[in-house]
Amino acid sequence: MEHEKCYIYAPPESNSEERPSKRVRTSKLQSQPQLTERLSTYREVWAQQEERIQQTLENADSVTQENIVKFVAASTTSEGEPQASIPTGLIVAGPSIASHGLFFSRLGQNIRSETDSAYAVLTSGECPNLKTLLKCLVKKITSLKDDGDEHDDLINSGFSARNGPKLLDFDLGHVQMWQDKNETQSIVVAIQDSEAFDTAVLVELVDTVHSWLDRLPFILLFGIATSAENFEDRMSGKSLRYLDGQKFDVTQSDVIIEKLFSVTVANADARLRIGPTLSHRLLDRQKDHVQNVQDFVDGLKYAHMSHFYASYPSIFLRKGSTYTDLPSEAFEAVRNLPSFRRWIETLLQDGNASEVRTLLQSDQSLHEEIAKHIKLGQTALTSLSQAAILFHNIRESLQISPPFRLSTIWTRAAAGDLSGSPLYRETMLSLKKASSDKLKQLLISMERLNMEGSSIDWAKFNQNLLKLVQNSDGSGPLRSQDDVRNDSVRTTVIAQKVLLSKHKAALSEQDKAYSELVAQLHDEIDRYMTSAFIDPQAMFLSEIFMYDLKSPHVEVFQPKPRFAIERALATPHDYLGCSCCDRNRTEEEGVLAATQPATAILYQLFLESGTLINASDLWSAFEAIVEEGSEESDPKTSALIQRALAELRYLGLVKPSRKKTDHIAKIMWKGL
Amino acid sequence: MRTCGRGRVNSLARSVVDASVRLFSLSALHVNILIPTIMLPDEILDTLQSEFPCRESQIQQLTAFYSEHHLPSPPLLVAHGLTATGKSSIIKSLLELSSLPHAVIRCRECITGRHLLERIVASCLDALDTFGDERIDRKRFARTENLSSLAVNLQRLLEGRNKFVLVLDGIDKQREAPPTMMAALGRFREVIPNLSIILISNLPLTQALYTPSTPHIHFAPYPRSSLLTILAAKPPKIFLTPPSTEKFPDYTPDLAAEDDAWLWGRFTSAVYDSLSKHTGRDLVNFRIAALKLWRPFVEPVEAGTFGTRDFSRLMVNRRHLFQGEEGVLDRIIASESTLTNPTGTVPPTPKRNLRTLAHDLPYYATHLLIAAYLASYNPSRTDVTYFMKHTDKRKNKRRVHTSSGTGAMKSKHRKISRHLLTPSPFPLDRLLAIFRALLDDAGVPQSADLYTQVATLTSMRLLVKAGGAGSADPLDTGAKWRVNFGWEYARGLGRTVGLEVGEYLVGGVD
Repeated sequence: MEHEKCYIYAPPESNSEERPSKRVRTSKLQSQPQLTERLSTYREVWAQQEERIQQTLENADSVTQENIVKFVAASTTSEGEPQASIPTGLIVAGPSIASHGLFFSRLGQNIRSETDSAYAVLTSGECPNLKTLLKCLVKKITSLKDDGDEHDDLINSGFSARNGPKLLDFDLGHVQMWQDKNETQSIVVAIQDSEAFDTAVLVELVDTVHSWLDRLPFILLFGIATSAENFEDRMSGKSLRYLDGQKFDVTQSDVIIEKLFSVTVANADARLRIGPTLSHRLLDRQKDHVQNVQDFVDGLKYAHMSHFYASYPSIFLRKGSTYTDLPSEAFEAVRNLPSFRRWIETLLQDGNASEVRTLLQSDQSLHEEIAKHIKLGQTALTSLSQAAILFHNIRESLQISPPFRLSTIWTRAAAGDLSGSPLYRETMLSLKKASSDKLKQLLISMERLNMEGSSIDWAKFNQNLLKLVQNSDGSGPLRSQDDVRNDSVRTTVIAQKVLLSKHKAALSEQDKAYSELVAQLHDEIDRYMTSAFIDPQAMFLSEIFMYDLKSPHVEVFQPKPRFAIERALATPHDYLGCSCCDRNRTEEEGVLAATQPATAILYQLFLESGTLINASDLWSAFEAIVEEGSEESDPKTSALIQRALAELRYLGLVKPSRKKTDHIAKIMWKGL
Repeated sequence: MRTCGRGRVNSLARSVVDASVRLFSLSALHVNILIPTIMLPDEILDTLQSEFPCRESQIQQLTAFYSEHHLPSPPLLVAHGLTATGKSSIIKSLLELSSLPHAVIRCRECITGRHLLERIVASCLDALDTFGDERIDRKRFARTENLSSLAVNLQRLLEGRNKFVLVLDGIDKQREAPPTMMAALGRFREVIPNLSIILISNLPLTQALYTPSTPHIHFAPYPRSSLLTILAAKPPKIFLTPPSTEKFPDYTPDLAAEDDAWLWGRFTSAVYDSLSKHTGRDLVNFRIAALKLWRPFVEPVEAGTFGTRDFSRLMVNRRHLFQGEEGVLDRIIASESTLTNPTGTVPPTPKRNLRTLAHDLPYYATHLLIAAYLASYNPSRTDVTYFMKHTDKRKNKRRVHTSSGTGAMKSKHRKISRHLLTPSPFPLDRLLAIFRALLDDAGVPQSADLYTQVATLTSMRLLVKAGGAGSADPLDTGAKWRVNFGWEYARGLGRTVGLEVGEYLVGGVD
């Protein structure tokens, strides 16, 4: 095949005169009207969200961080006697390794602010061996707290260089000099990703640190992604003897995601909301593929960005925009929204033709309607969020299994399929059946939630319940009439047939009163929920205050590189869009045509073959396709197939094989 | 000025004066203004003997060599012995007591051979600054690149001075040591007459030195009796807070100390015979184990269940301490729970789920790991039987099982269960193919998320790249991978997602 080492490549003749002449754009097209306004609106909206996110993240692992800081502070106090082992904190930070960096930097701030310690983080990337690790450590520690003393340091280092042996740059003697000057209580060395470190490096680090422990008060912190046992198994017995410490568990990332979701998407006042499809996708990705808080936040941010960038009507989300600020194009854009058309149609069905006419013709009246409806929509979504929180709270306080997360409930509610669903009915039924002690907890937690939107007077219910409970003389809690424990099944045998009949036990006075109370509560909650759980998609202008496009997110966060290459090679028409290999014309699936690119033809032949491919067979098949009809072989075909094969090899699809002569081995399969 | 022995100034004032007078007459270089606290050889001997019991002969030999300033010391001495036999501490205290100018270098702190050489020169300069009075001009010693420059530097440094002792602690563990270092150290005395080197190592260095008749002092491991004597010197307290004086007016501190010593002695010999004899005989391990078990052991005494001298009853009550291995296992996190077992019976083996994750992995990452395990431990030719669709897995499994396990093969080769062998490498495509076969529904898109997960699992060292270090390109398609976890972990992973990994494993398990 490679019979010529080199040859002169003659490019196919290009007919330069056939190139179409360039056209000059005459009218100035404004593709992105009012982009700056939308950008500022986006910044305003996102700043709010980001603040909430930061707050949540900081609170999320504050307990763990506090514990670690306490541990560090406690380890420093034992002075005087030489320490036998290095105080060690094993921080089990979970598999979301991307968020470890943030965690450790926050931890560093806390440790520095609350204890008198030096803090340095080491990552596996900068420490391939012990020498570089120590160099890095020395650099990081000695550069701390040097703000005022930099001058002295320079003099010192110059002094020692001129007058005597200089310390090598990985000598911990530098740290000792620094320690003598600063006298910190402890030197905390955090190993951010202990798994990625070479075990030998870690063992040697422990050995070295232990050797210096009588002069330098080291504390080691190891970030662990798998488990503390795993870490212990990796270290040698000697190193384990040198270490002595505690384990700290960091909050699981799914818990943090849940919290983030409730403060950002399901928050009561959010100007722009992420729709159910997208949020479902974001959450699923966290569960199935990656556990990464930062990724979730990025997803949210990208959704906000693409909404304000790609959708012109989003300008109406801007606060305090008056009619005069907006050009007529904005209103034209709104008139093109599907929800506008739906709305107009319903108006027409109701016979409001004149109103429709003004809406279609007058921008000013449309502006008023838009302002009104955006406000309406946002209130509706707020009450939907609140109802979702309430619903979640009911399930949680009544301990209904299986437990559903707020995110699940919210996405279902926002998709409009919660009201009337089995989940909804089940919950309401459990509410009916609840005994007084459970109901009491529910009411207390409801009062604590302090919902503004709902008209239900929780305090009143609570008072009534208290009164009932106080009056009751029985030992057990009060039960409503729907409670199963009040049912009994009676068996009667008549003419050799068994009849089962349900029978309600006689209710006491208190129970009756309690049942009434529960029924009243149930009705009120039911009324509130059914009014709140609407389908937001059906509302006018839902495109503006709700962003629910999946494809931008998928394209950016979950690209399919391999699929794209495979598709391009298997069906080049999808990408080229040329008329010559249009599939619809030939009406055949996967047909090979000479018009396709050579690599694509070869790839399709490659797909049909087994693990080992005979190169000469491949060539003859290729020739048969490319040179349809013609007898003698064209030298161009040889060049084409060589280039195609080289491209396949470059893509990593085939490699030369030594198993059989003149064969190439297939190393990739389609669809994996 | 080293502060060693300064506290003895008053008691030894007389001898000190004598010694210093002698020193002045001998060496004109030491014009000390401060009176150095120098002890007589006999006193050094006594102090060391009391501080380090059961090392009489070694201490005697060392004092003979190194206590006198004016007598010559051997040019090179090797002190060898296993860990925790008192080599370094005895030599260090001896040199400090004798106040010979000396420098001790811990080789395990030196990262490279060059580092060690620089360290030697720097420590010698420091030591001479401390022991002498004038500051040495350090300019001339700025660089020590190799052994010959070390020889030159030391020669210049010690020219016309008194005896100097250089101790290299743990020289056999020196990282990246120059190959000729040992031999060179052995012959340093030929060029530097007043240098005396002590090498401390775990093994005798007769082979490495190339210098005949180097004196070796062997620090033999402590036998049982010595270990018990050493530990008996400092018994820990039974009662952390002494019992109230109103209740027990007779129980004086003296009595308490006597009880402590009595019980501690009995206890340590029990610990040695039951545990340390078989697991860790050296002093450090033994002491750690004994101290670890001491508090749970005396717990009933503290609670008042037994008297301080009820040793036999205490033994029976606390026998689980000596039966389990918790006391001698090295752990970072001290697990107190198993040691302080109040029932006194043998505790059930702690249900420690050895290799489970504290945090759950994402759903597909778990499947990827299981697929990787299967790819590593199943031969690739059996993939068709296990993962092809439209076949009865169970039937195929049985066939494979019987053909591989029984028959004449068995008598010829002893079969080792596959999951006990090292994992074999596999290409990435095979992993992905098995992954898709495990997930019956083909709903997983070919998205980049899968590759991200492979990358994450690699950085967590659960998946390891098997190829040599040369193929650093992560996109190299020919690259092979390997799993880095065992069967139990894989089984645990499978159970979290409801998949029995054993069903897919060739040859079954156990």
